[in-house]
Amino acid sequence: MTTAVSVDTQVLRDLLATMWRIRAFEERVGALKRADEVHGLIHLSIGGEGVAAAVCRQLRDDDAVYSGHRAHGHAVAKGAPLGRAMAELMGRGGGLCQGMGGSMHLVDVAHGFLGATGVVGGNIPLALGSALAARQQGSDAVAVVFFGDGAVQAGLFTESVNLATLWRLPVLLVCENNGFAEFTPRSAHTTVERVSDVVAPYPLPRQTVDGNEVADVWTAFSGLLARARRGEGPALLECLTHRLRGHYEGDPDRYREAVSAEDRQRKDPILRLQRAGHEAGWLTGSESFESDARAEVEEAVTWARSSPFPSSVPEELR
Amino acid sequence: MDRTAMYRAMVRIREFEERVKRTFAEHPGVIRGHTHLADGAEASIVGSIAAIRPGDHVMATYRCHGYPIALGSDTTAMMAEIYGRANGLCGGYGGSMHLADPERGFLGTSGIVGQSIPQATGAAYAAQVRGAGDVVLCFFGDGASKQGAFHESLNIASLWKLPIVFVMENNSYSVSVRVEQEDANAAAGEPLATKAVAYSMPGVTIDGGDPDLVHTTVAEAVARARAGEGPTLVESLVYRLSAHGNSIAPPGVPLHYPEHEAVTVFGDVAEYEAALRGDPVPRFRGALVTSGALDAATADAIAAEAADEMQRAVDGALAGPDPDPADALRFVVA
Amino acid sequence: MAREITYIAAIMEGIHQEMARDDDVLLIGQSVGGSPEDPFVAAFGPDRVRVTPISETAEIGMAAGAALAGKRPVVDCTMAEFLLVAMDQVVNEANRFHYMSGGRVTAPLVLKAGYGFTAGWAGQHTGSIYGMFMGVPGLKVALPSTPADAKGLMATAIRDDNPVLFLHHYLLTLEAGDVPEGEHLVPFGQAAVVRPGHDVTLVATGWTVHRALEAAEELAAEGVSVEVIDPRTIAPLDVDTILASVERTGRLALVDQATKHASVSAIIAAEVAEAGFASLRAPIVQVTALDAPIAYAKPMEDFVLPDVGKIVAGVRRVVDATVSGHNTAAAR
Ligand SMILES: Cc1ncc(C[n+]2csc(CCOP(=O)(O)OP(=O)(O)O)c2C)c(N)n1
Ligand SMILES: Cc1ncc(C[n+]2csc(CCOP(=O)(O)OP(=O)(O)O)c2C)c(N)n1
Ligand SMILES: [Mg+2]
Ligand SMILES: [Mg+2]
Repeated sequence: MTTAVSVDTQVLRDLLATMWRIRAFEERVGALKRADEVHGLIHLSIGGEGVAAAVCRQLRDDDAVYSGHRAHGHAVAKGAPLGRAMAELMGRGGGLCQGMGGSMHLVDVAHGFLGATGVVGGNIPLALGSALAARQQGSDAVAVVFFGDGAVQAGLFTESVNLATLWRLPVLLVCENNGFAEFTPRSAHTTVERVSDVVAPYPLPRQTVDGNEVADVWTAFSGLLARARRGEGPALLECLTHRLRGHYEGDPDRYREAVSAEDRQRKDPILRLQRAGHEAGWLTGSESFESDARAEVEEAVTWARSSPFPSSVPEELR
Repeated sequence: MDRTAMYRAMVRIREFEERVKRTFAEHPGVIRGHTHLADGAEASIVGSIAAIRPGDHVMATYRCHGYPIALGSDTTAMMAEIYGRANGLCGGYGGSMHLADPERGFLGTSGIVGQSIPQATGAAYAAQVRGAGDVVLCFFGDGASKQGAFHESLNIASLWKLPIVFVMENNSYSVSVRVEQEDANAAAGEPLATKAVAYSMPGVTIDGGDPDLVHTTVAEAVARARAGEGPTLVESLVYRLSAHGNSIAPPGVPLHYPEHEAVTVFGDVAEYEAALRGDPVPRFRGALVTSGALDAATADAIAAEAADEMQRAVDGALAGPDPDPADALRFVVA
Repeated sequence: MAREITYIAAIMEGIHQEMARDDDVLLIGQSVGGSPEDPFVAAFGPDRVRVTPISETAEIGMAAGAALAGKRPVVDCTMAEFLLVAMDQVVNEANRFHYMSGGRVTAPLVLKAGYGFTAGWAGQHTGSIYGMFMGVPGLKVALPSTPADAKGLMATAIRDDNPVLFLHHYLLTLEAGDVPEGEHLVPFGQAAVVRPGHDVTLVATGWTVHRALEAAEELAAEGVSVEVIDPRTIAPLDVDTILASVERTGRLALVDQATKHASVSAIIAAEVAEAGFASLRAPIVQVTALDAPIAYAKPMEDFVLPDVGKIVAGVRRVVDATVSGHNTAAAR
């Protein structure tokens, strides 16, 4: 079931640590949402940590990353400080965006996380723009945009694929296909099950991988990334994932079957990598990835709580 | 439509477009705004429309003079519309870009590239719900396939198995941009019909200068659509024989038809001359006459009748009254 | 040194000079850089000047992304109506970023588009649709009426750190006027008093500025002194200059090519009613397009549009009217 062998164990340990940081962060966000300390519409990426980690941990700060409404994991994996991210979700002045953006609009320029959007697919063309800018600056930086399978049926997706291909832009389109857009299964949205088949008409590399198999995502992405850095143009990577929570926090989730315990072993990228690590021997059981992550998140919450609510419009905006 | 009727319709479209073009020189100021001609696409238009029946619907773009002629619209009313007269097909409200003749199944056009594709898809949805087996022909250009609306519409049409045939008239140009400058498939040397793959829909590329081939291809797609088997993308390769449209200028500057962009922008006289040699109208005449399906005298008579008809269209349009200015406030809402 | 050039040439000169000044300025669009002889391609190369497919959403979205990444793209969108297929990108993306990021990012881009082509272009290519953009926070809107302003506002737009919608009037395309040769910047949010006067304030934008000036000339012969103001940018809108004028004249007439409920004039009327009520000696009069789309045929097109005759009549109505009890209002 696993192909994890081909990736260096040091890398795998780092990915596991990253996934735990995302998981711990998001579970805490869910609890804080229920406690009404985090506001607004919250979409958690629990179950999708593998994609965020395997993609973002290969990127540099000067590579631009864009994401959609389910963006916490991408921001964290790209290096956003947990305290400031948490403070943003709590609407505090110390937040990444000084409390002006919230969950669906995280931005962390310092780490190249150029931003999330609440409009499905809304920033796919923006990533092309970043890629164009990088190329004009003569840099080998790339742009990455994460989007869901729901975004693929929007017109701007094809407009962007055509342009990116035509202009050979260093942009990587990473689709997290969880088979659902909100409460609607993919089969009700399109006849084309695989997102990689939607771009089949266009001359760009496309690959579909099991997004719960972190090592596979890593390997596939690293190949496409290297191409893009070399100036060989864009690519699409489709990662099949499962949303282990509802579409949003509070979603009664009655439109699909619950995940069985057995299924969970397969659909949870963290459990899978840990199992693989134990089988292969690079995990011994004495690791503290989870507890370290939870401790770090607790610190982040404490820091965020101590950050004052913004009293007025920030300096830069006045 | 039999082959003679198809030929007649092609000749009538050509003659109509010639008269529109001549109007700029013969009656300066009579046509305002922007016109787009179908010369060169006659075989594709007529071959397609020959494949449908009453009750079916057609939607198109601003390049819209050919379809209503093939559907039987009154050419005097059409010319009067292009001249902005009260006796125009749409009372002088729409002009050249916005012809509509719903009684003949021509539901109208959009002047905005790509936007009639979802509208035609909606008409097909209505046909599906109506359940009478009607289909929709949706005409648009190669450029329009770069609009998001194209992608969104073809996905839904395929998903819902809508009775629609998407006829992309690929004339290799969007105004003065060549298709390989804007399309990743064209740049890679692939046909644009390749795009159908993304919608699990059949996609075919055909010589749009051959009305028989267009007819059989579209008829097959129409049959599929009627049978509830869903949409087809037909890429019909045509060459527009005029410039994209008449010149664009503020009021007071006389308008005219410039030369084709192949010449004015790309200096490719050879391309344009080759297109003239392949002109579908004389080509079809040649095919009909050589095979004995039509004798030369009848062909000449068809041409003469078309010339007379379009002279009457011009005369009737010129004689048409101006609309009452205050009528500008009618039809704002229904 | 100024010399006479056309409005459209002035716009292109503004872009050209900014591109020469700043390597980060890009020019993309469906009608730019199509051939190697294009003066922009020749000067700045095919990377900075690019023809795009007819994909407005992708074009404008890409401009926003390139802007986030440090560029200053100018998108030639040709006609204002074509923005509408990409409405999300125009009013709900780039213009929000600075704010949503708490000031961390900027998206400097210019959307250049022509509008108001009431020359037989019928219902879908003739609109004066600025009203739907002017109230959108984060988006600036410039409406130049002269070649000099066209150049100066374009240069300012390119240097501005926000998305700017630069709407040029199609009927002015070939109008010539004096334009400074070198660097020329016209600040945003500063109205121009294009003709001083003391009896009535007349505010107009774009092509209607010239119609307003003609009307003012005609009224001068009757002894009515009209002050004509051109806001030049409608977001930001220089309400102060208009209020100051109304304070002197006590009367306000407004001309707008848009339909009344989608016009700048309605907004200005509201601002003056709110902040300058005490100065008004007569009800405000708006001369706008009638509430209809633009018909193809000329008689119907003319019927709905403001013209010199309608402006003169409108101004006469403000001049002749008096508000009863005005003195009470003024004294308060
Ligand atoms: C343009 C637009 N349409 C609709 C919505 C409402 N909406 C929010 S999330 C979502 C589903 C998106 O599905 P997908 O892209 O598969 O992402 P997932 O939630 O599965 O991660 C929808 C329809 C929106 N935000 N933007
Ligand atoms: C959304 C939009 N963008 C741009 C235009 C300007 N425009 C009018 S026709 C045209 C070319 C369209 O090319 P194509 O679809 O190939 O049709 P053709 O004119 O060649 O028949 C363009 C760009 C428009 N009308 N609408
Ligand atoms: Mg999904
Ligand atoms: Mg074309």
